[in-house]
Amino acid sequence: MIRFSRTTSAVLHGSAAFLVVAVLLSAYAASAADPSLARVIDQAQTKIVKIYGAGGFRGMEGYQSGFLISAEGHVLTALSYVLDTDRITVTLNDGRHYDAKLLGGDPRLEVAVLKIEAASLPHFDLAKAVPLTDGVRILALSNLFNVAMGDEPASVQSGTVSVLTRLEGRRGVFETPYHGPIYVLDVATNNPGASGGALLTLQGELAGMLGRELRNSLNNTWLSYAVPIDQLRQSVDEIEAGKFISLKELPPEKKPASPMEPGLLGISLVPDILERTPAYVDQVRPGTAAARAGIQPDDLILLVGNHLTQSCKALRKELEMIDRADAVKLTILRGQELVEVTVQAGPDDK
Amino acid sequence: MSGFQFEPAGFRSRVQGERGAAGISTRLLLLPLVAFCRLAAAEDINTLEQKALIDAVDRVAPSVVRIETIGGLERVDRVLFGAGPTTGLVVDSSGYIVSSAFNFVNKPASILVRLPDGTRKPAKLVARDHNCQFVLLKIEVDHPLPVPEAAPQSEMRIGQWCVAVGRTFEESRPNRTVGILSAVGRVWGKALQTDAPASPNNYGGPLVDIRGRVMGLLVPLSPQSAEEIAGFEWYDSGIGFAVPLEAIQKLLPKLRKGEDLYPGVAGVFMQSKNQYTGDTVIASCRPNSPAAKAQFKGGDRIIEIGGRKVTRSAEVKQEISRRYAGDKVHFVVLRGEKRIEADLELTSKLDAFQHGFLGILPLRNGNDAGITVRYVYPGSPVAEAKLEPGDLIVSAAGDAVVDPDELRSALSGLEPGMSLELEVRHKDQTRKVNLKMAELPNDLPPRTLPPARSKSEPGQGQKHKVGRIALTVPEFKNEAWAYVPERYDPAVPHGVVVWLHGAPDAAALLAQWKPLCDANDLVLVAPRPSLSNGWQADEANYIEKLVGQVKAAYTVDLTRVVVFGRDTGASLALVCAFRSRELIRAAAVIDAGSMLPPPEIDPGHRLAIYLGTAKSSMQAQLVKMTLARLKAAKVPVTEKDLGKDARDLSPQELDELVRWIDMLDRI
Repeated sequence: MIRFSRTTSAVLHGSAAFLVVAVLLSAYAASAADPSLARVIDQAQTKIVKIYGAGGFRGMEGYQSGFLISAEGHVLTALSYVLDTDRITVTLNDGRHYDAKLLGGDPRLEVAVLKIEAASLPHFDLAKAVPLTDGVRILALSNLFNVAMGDEPASVQSGTVSVLTRLEGRRGVFETPYHGPIYVLDVATNNPGASGGALLTLQGELAGMLGRELRNSLNNTWLSYAVPIDQLRQSVDEIEAGKFISLKELPPEKKPASPMEPGLLGISLVPDILERTPAYVDQVRPGTAAARAGIQPDDLILLVGNHLTQSCKALRKELEMIDRADAVKLTILRGQELVEVTVQAGPDDK
Repeated sequence: MSGFQFEPAGFRSRVQGERGAAGISTRLLLLPLVAFCRLAAAEDINTLEQKALIDAVDRVAPSVVRIETIGGLERVDRVLFGAGPTTGLVVDSSGYIVSSAFNFVNKPASILVRLPDGTRKPAKLVARDHNCQFVLLKIEVDHPLPVPEAAPQSEMRIGQWCVAVGRTFEESRPNRTVGILSAVGRVWGKALQTDAPASPNNYGGPLVDIRGRVMGLLVPLSPQSAEEIAGFEWYDSGIGFAVPLEAIQKLLPKLRKGEDLYPGVAGVFMQSKNQYTGDTVIASCRPNSPAAKAQFKGGDRIIEIGGRKVTRSAEVKQEISRRYAGDKVHFVVLRGEKRIEADLELTSKLDAFQHGFLGILPLRNGNDAGITVRYVYPGSPVAEAKLEPGDLIVSAAGDAVVDPDELRSALSGLEPGMSLELEVRHKDQTRKVNLKMAELPNDLPPRTLPPARSKSEPGQGQKHKVGRIALTVPEFKNEAWAYVPERYDPAVPHGVVVWLHGAPDAAALLAQWKPLCDANDLVLVAPRPSLSNGWQADEANYIEKLVGQVKAAYTVDLTRVVVFGRDTGASLALVCAFRSRELIRAAAVIDAGSMLPPPEIDPGHRLAIYLGTAKSSMQAQLVKMTLARLKAAKVPVTEKDLGKDARDLSPQELDELVRWIDMLDRI
């Protein structure tokens, strides 16, 4: 339901963007010397491509966006199931279309490079890409919802960088292998087809590649984001240099061989009966690390290191990331006091 | 984002430049640029606007805190709650912080506030505002917290820049979304509306103007619902709401004392059913309500509330809803030509409403001249007025009524003890009778009742699927089938029984219910739970859709839509009956109670409960509590003692249950 309403709103955004493009073009025609946004967008659109590939089943769309990064037809796009086919088609802004070759992809960044046989193409220069800061206004160019057909220019959306942050891949907050910096956007780009589109400044400088549809499990909302170009540059260079990177999925995050458990510290937690039972200490065994650190029954464990532990389950998960030989920093709520303790399990603790 | 800046003086700029005080300084600076230097101006304006918007966020950022919660539910209704951080706004340097009630609706065990400098403080939830859906938190502080400046509401102009600010992604830096002010006085006069995307990423944070002054506090709201999570489904859609900070500041003294605030209620029912087109004539006043204490009466026309002239019933709702329980409001009403003025002190809760009772069962397909009496309850008001089966009720309180629904709605505002004039036709004689309404009875009518319908020719000229049919609801995996009586006639309203036990054994269930359905004009609906371990509370949504489907295809008598369940199905039946007030008017349950409080009964929607009790059951305590709550809410409850342990109803008891269903259309 929520997804549907989001989609609807994005369609509206998309069509609004269309109108804007139309107005922009006429404004541009009226005053050709005006270096307004119209010209910036007009130029940028010649570098955006529409990509068609695998999909069309189980509600998965067989299209996405990309942009030209060389005059000879290198195309930067998102690595996704759409490229998982022998026949990938790239349609340029002017309507010409080509069979494309997948040069390679980097699953850690979910980025891929395609190549079409063409020359003298308008393109973005990755070396000239710019970094953005919070609050900078942006343009997002993509073929979201596959609205643009043939020689129709890509849809343009405008917005602002909400914040520069990192995708926390750990603990299943985001189901993505990419854990690096992203620009969170305040415009809905998290819709089919937008992935692989270009993020630009209002001056038309390339800044990022639009990310895929992604849910933020921290608050159960859809996230619109773009990956900064400087994160992608090295992989793109390697792929272009002929170093093919495997498309296989990455192995899951490694846990220490002997992970920590509450029991090893001498703590038993209250029975875990709710969905999110707060991590209250039930008992502390005398003579254990927890007892030495002064932990008491009824203490509420709030943080392991700097990670919030909202439940007994979350506490156990956090401890699993720590080797049992290492010291653990805990922050505890005792009454209305916050107390910090460091607990170190000894060799004899079991 | 359609107000996009494609020209130096785009829509947003123009509005602010001409009317919005908020953007004046920037605008004055820019005007000469626009006039004399258009070439350079394009970039300069974009850059300057961007800088102003960034500065605005920087200015409010020290007062925007991060909130972390420990424990709490994972799911409330149909909304899944993440465990992520949320946002709050400092409103008092001594450590008072406001946030959206949405952020606490999952009832966390513990709350932490993270100040912009990184320090964590345990917080107490001091008070809640149930009208505008925000909360007040308190932390202990060693140094005063920075309090933001409030933007005066008088300076706000539609179209001016707005920035929604949260602190959910990064601890050290706020996240923002940018838009314009879309409207003021929204959601019954309570909120500002913005197209800056609002979501759990910024609920509880401020909506600021281009100068960084706080316009309001971002909260999800819905004009249609007063629940704390209502409006969440519009997140990031371009429809976001904020409670004006000026309004919050006025409420702080009360909230600081720990006083929860509730929406104000006057206790008037309006005559017109459509609040947007209808006028302001009172149908009735609830007993002991502020309106009743002011001696307002049915027929009075409200013409002024709190100094504002009102002509439509929506304005009455708006003027009352935006105020709080305890507020004193000046009302002016007209009674004929006479002007009556009174100060009403609004209340938070009215005495539970109780439907009145005339004492008849109506014929379900009577003629168009009125309501034919099918059965007269002995000792009831109509029995005392000597009405007989076959009599025709042609008008109530002076208005002509042609079918049972019209009669019920004409009586809907009347409670036991209130009087009513009926016009009744007996053979060829018409007379008027005055009655005093009684209470709805809980016991069953006798075993043999006159038929509920006059003769009819079934399905003439119309094709309706009868017999066993399959039902699917697109978004749900559940399977269901229904049985529609062979003699189904769209002229006769049918009752609906949703059978919620385990997975139904189709053949046995059909054998048991077919004769009951055929004899009593009932449609049986038998859905299967989506999980093997039984029904889940959130499947109420599915049941509602299922009943909606039956209602769309067949003539359904809403008074006889019953959800009948056992075990998890019984719990779900109560959830359906308590929540889906539009569609589901009765629940029959075996040995089940509910942690949910029963709904407040309103005149338009009856509720009746049939409860089979078992003395030694594990549920006995909960059942007892539920019974007490239902009685306090004045919900008619028919109790059935099933003995020591919970069990299925015997064939004879099932007959009784069907008789109970048959009498739910009593008037």
